[in-house]
Amino acid sequence: MQLNFAGREITIKLVYYGPALSGKTTNLKALHELTADESHGRLMTLETRDDRTLFFDMLPLVFRAGDRPRQPGDRSYTPVDPTMGMSLRIKVFTVPGQVLHGATRRLVLQGADGVAFVADSQLTETEHNAASFLDLRANLKELNVSVKDMPIVIQFNKRDLPQIRSDEELKTLAQQGREPVFRAAALSGEGVVETFFGLLNLTWSKLEAEHQLSRIIGIQPHEFVPVAARKMGIKRDVSAILASCLGGNLDFREPKP
Amino acid sequence: MTPQAEPTSLDIDATLRLEELIDREALVELCDSFFTLFGIPVRVLSKDGTLLADSAREHELCGYINTFASGRAACGATVGAVKIADPDEAGELVHPCFSGLQYRIVAIDYDARRIGRFILGPYLPADVTDAPSSLLELDPRIEPPTAKSLLMKVPRARPDTVQRVARHLKAALDLILFSGHKTLLTSQMHLLSVRESFRELTEKNARVQEAYDRLRELDRLKSNFLATVSHELRTPLTSIIGYSEMLAEGIAGPLNDEQKEFVGTIREKGEQLLHLIQSLLDMSKLESGTMSVRRERLRIEDVLGEVQKTLTPSARKKGVTLRIDCAPGLPDLRADPERLRQVFINLGDNAIKFTPSGGTVTYRVASVTQGDSAQTDVGFALLSPVRSHLEVRVLDTGIGIPPAEREKVFDPFYQVDSSSTREYGGTGLGLSIVKRLVESHDGTIRVEENVPRGAMFVVTLPVARAEAGDAH
Repeated sequence: MQLNFAGREITIKLVYYGPALSGKTTNLKALHELTADESHGRLMTLETRDDRTLFFDMLPLVFRAGDRPRQPGDRSYTPVDPTMGMSLRIKVFTVPGQVLHGATRRLVLQGADGVAFVADSQLTETEHNAASFLDLRANLKELNVSVKDMPIVIQFNKRDLPQIRSDEELKTLAQQGREPVFRAAALSGEGVVETFFGLLNLTWSKLEAEHQLSRIIGIQPHEFVPVAARKMGIKRDVSAILASCLGGNLDFREPKP
Repeated sequence: MTPQAEPTSLDIDATLRLEELIDREALVELCDSFFTLFGIPVRVLSKDGTLLADSAREHELCGYINTFASGRAACGATVGAVKIADPDEAGELVHPCFSGLQYRIVAIDYDARRIGRFILGPYLPADVTDAPSSLLELDPRIEPPTAKSLLMKVPRARPDTVQRVARHLKAALDLILFSGHKTLLTSQMHLLSVRESFRELTEKNARVQEAYDRLRELDRLKSNFLATVSHELRTPLTSIIGYSEMLAEGIAGPLNDEQKEFVGTIREKGEQLLHLIQSLLDMSKLESGTMSVRRERLRIEDVLGEVQKTLTPSARKKGVTLRIDCAPGLPDLRADPERLRQVFINLGDNAIKFTPSGGTVTYRVASVTQGDSAQTDVGFALLSPVRSHLEVRVLDTGIGIPPAEREKVFDPFYQVDSSSTREYGGTGLGLSIVKRLVESHDGTIRVEENVPRGAMFVVTLPVARAEAGDAH
């Protein structure tokens, strides 16, 4: 998190991590698609020479406390008093999945406030998922961050493919583990918003506990995620969105019972 | 990007500056092309008001106004106000001029932040038909007909046209900014990745170097230990051999046949042991680099002659023919005769050992100019004289060495298969000593197949150069 009092801005960094081809970029593209145009900037894709590798994608979501989105042609639109609250920017990144880009992964991970781990649901990918998670842990360690202190949600992507780990199995795993687990089929946009808000909720709960961000931007703590959802043009109820979580703990502060 | 000499992490939320993302000269060209296309002057300002590009040409009207002192003052005030006008949240602002002309000030936002603005104008609004009083009242010398005719010469623009031009310019700038930002991030990322990889490699190198140093130290300790132990073992062994010799000679009284045989065995085994210890000592000296190698001019024929003398008895006993085959006119070597003898005795001894009765062991010597043709092609005329070598081939007609084993035979204690130890004896140290001795003479050794059967050891040794002065 970066706090810029002079510019009245808070920046939160969320990183989508996972093995190559697990659908991190697809998640970001879908999120970009599913959120309101005025709430985000262009999706930036930095590619390396060897095609398949995405450096990172950036998705700034900007809003202000008490702000409301400007509708096209809305002449009565008045901006909020700039002395009130602060603007919050959420930057969403993906890391390059290819093993080769270890250094870049670490760079992108640097300063992350939360991590969405995108796993491939196919049974054949089980080992790649585990290896990538260990890589995440090792890279965090290299950055002097304990994996325990990092808000992490796990998404089992590609639920629409055959030969995948079953829902029952995922549920059992999710309820035993501490990270919130979501299911997704990112190509069709399914589960993408759920994972994102699960991560935002978890990350916010940690930042709130550490920095009382709600007070700084001038809203009630429990309001943050619903306000963010509204600003991003999400019509659904946030509690319903978060309820799709299969298990784990969505609040970073409370230890799992 | 904030100017940082050594960014160590990706600045995810750097405040971008317009002047850093665009190329000023190219921006001027863009503004000029807008001016040419629409007749409306364009100025681009950074967030702090620095003028980055200006396509404005003075209208005749403005030139006329500026001939009057009051006109100059009013014009300066307007231009000053336009330059600091802030389009605020709305993003656009229309600023009138006393002359009836207009300016439109448009914000340049990027990544939801204000990074600059551009000014369109002055242009003539579509609804103005005459010089306004604010212009005429400025100075009594201003002639209304002149003012009107000059005013009408200024390009006329409808509000929606200006808005379209503004939107178009904004889109063009946005593309430039996005591309610039993307390139900036890419290069930043590449640079940081390279630096991070370099850091990683440097760390790894340091660890490898450390491990290597430790291993070298251990290796040195091992060699020292071996040298000391070998030396300490030799001393009592010499006594054992000496006393058993004296016993055999009957100095301590006559021995019966059985006793003589036993003492003979003690002596024989003692000498085997001494030989082994000597080999170990040689080995450790070679490894620690403390083996002294003399360099003197010598003829290979002489060395091989002595080798033959030494080996003939064992060859005859085994029923193996020993042959030496030297090409005429061989050049001299600069080498240690003692060590060379050791090399060729060892190779010959091995060859005899593995050659069945009736076979032949041959030493074949020829002068070569570096066998590696790919290398000699380059600068051959210059390099071949300093590269000439003597090649000594030791051929046998024995069991041969399988291709996969040919490199390993030079490893200490290596034997092609452990059963051969029992059948042929030996410690497995001989060839590794040979290799190190050859290498200490700047030579090479390799194994090839001796067609149709047997093995061939090829030793190459550098020839003594003519200018190398010595006692010979």
